[in-house]
Amino acid sequence: MTDAIDITGLTKRYGELTAVDDVSFTVRSGRVVGLLGRNGAGKTTTLRMLLGLARPTAGSATIFGHPYAQLPGAAHRVGVSIDGIGPSAAASGRADLRIWAQTCGLPRTRVDDVLEQVGLASDAHRRLRDYSQGMRQRHALATALLADPELLILDEPANGLDPDGIRWLRELLRSLADEGRTVLVSSHILAEVEQMADDIVILQKTLRYSGTAAELTRNGELSLESRFFDLADPTVKEDVRA
Amino acid sequence: MRDLIGAEWRKIWTGRAWWAVAAAAVLMCVMADAGFVQQDADKNPGGGSTAEITSTLVQGWFMIELAAAVVALLAVTREFGNGAISRSVLLSGGRARLLTAKLLAVVGSGAVFALAAGALAAVSPWLFLAGHDRQPEWTATTTWTLLGVMLTIVVGAVWGALLGLLIRQQVASILVLLVSTWLVGEGLLRLAPAIGRLTIDEAMASVYRGGNENLLPIPWALLVLAVWIGAGTTVARTLFLRRDLP
Repeated sequence: MTDAIDITGLTKRYGELTAVDDVSFTVRSGRVVGLLGRNGAGKTTTLRMLLGLARPTAGSATIFGHPYAQLPGAAHRVGVSIDGIGPSAAASGRADLRIWAQTCGLPRTRVDDVLEQVGLASDAHRRLRDYSQGMRQRHALATALLADPELLILDEPANGLDPDGIRWLRELLRSLADEGRTVLVSSHILAEVEQMADDIVILQKTLRYSGTAAELTRNGELSLESRFFDLADPTVKEDVRA
Repeated sequence: MRDLIGAEWRKIWTGRAWWAVAAAAVLMCVMADAGFVQQDADKNPGGGSTAEITSTLVQGWFMIELAAAVVALLAVTREFGNGAISRSVLLSGGRARLLTAKLLAVVGSGAVFALAAGALAAVSPWLFLAGHDRQPEWTATTTWTLLGVMLTIVVGAVWGALLGLLIRQQVASILVLLVSTWLVGEGLLRLAPAIGRLTIDEAMASVYRGGNENLLPIPWALLVLAVWIGAGTTVARTLFLRRDLP
């Protein structure tokens, strides 16, 4: 089976600054993969290069064997929610989703389906600017789910969600994975990732770990948090504590 | 592609910006036409031929071009501002496809502005001369002026979108558009007419018969407009396909 995502030697430099340095990992189909790293570790930059939104300085990234821009039916196969990608200027949540549904040729009924799925059906008439942070996250997730994609790429989807929302998100992502979908989710919330991810990728500009969660935590003997701090640059941790 | 163009079309008319800009432009045109009528009355107190003032009143609606340009520019730059451009690219099947859809939608919005301006311009001589007990004289020149005004409005919309794609930042784009429209073309035409008449704004002025003797003949002005739009599209396309998105 083709890996859902294959990243090889991916590097991104902005002048003197290296955001991502020679990162390689794969995401197997049907798995929930947690992408972990501190702020500025290059998670979002890696996802942006994967999606063709930013050009890599070196390396390559493919989804189902193709660069995103050349992937047939990409909009229908990959759902994306990434930090920095906002809604359109549409007034209401429903109007925004209708624009995106039309962009990829989906019927309007699909908008109502995803609004129901993310629990925003009763608020979809409200102005987007009046949405809480949690509602915005749900709205972004609804946009990602519009085309009923087989691969979901989510950047910090739990940010702004309350405990109920976080539990709801965990159950939703797990149920999507149980249907055979692949989920790549970046997060700061290690405990949440520990509960839902099959595989873990740890980035700190360079790749620190890529493999199963079970191997990383020695089948639960160690916590994901302690393994994360072991593998992510310990000196940075010291600096943060100082 | 039809769905994509439809979505881009919907984005242009989303929000209140378009009608605020359009209303301001209509107000400017009305004030300009009122001024033209007053000037003409002062110049010809006894009345006389109204052929010239009829064409001038029609020509006064060229300012809708600025509204069409600003609306297209806002539609493009606000996507860069809120990051929606990335989702547009992801869902549209590629940057080149999206760019084509955006430009076609902008041509459509320019056509809407052109038709509305054309209708208002066509009735404006009757409205503005009515209070002066004078009858408009619609000539072939008036017809060509009207068509020129409508064409420049469509071109202006495309130019606004191209500026937005090139500059990306909303305030900077609007400043460039306004400065180039009000200062650069006109200033260069006065200081160095041979260069000034090659600017896109002065080429537009020639097409809607702006009346300045230094302007290009209309066929040459149309060619200059085509070169500006062609060059702008090429550069905008090249950069849009290559540059990282916000």
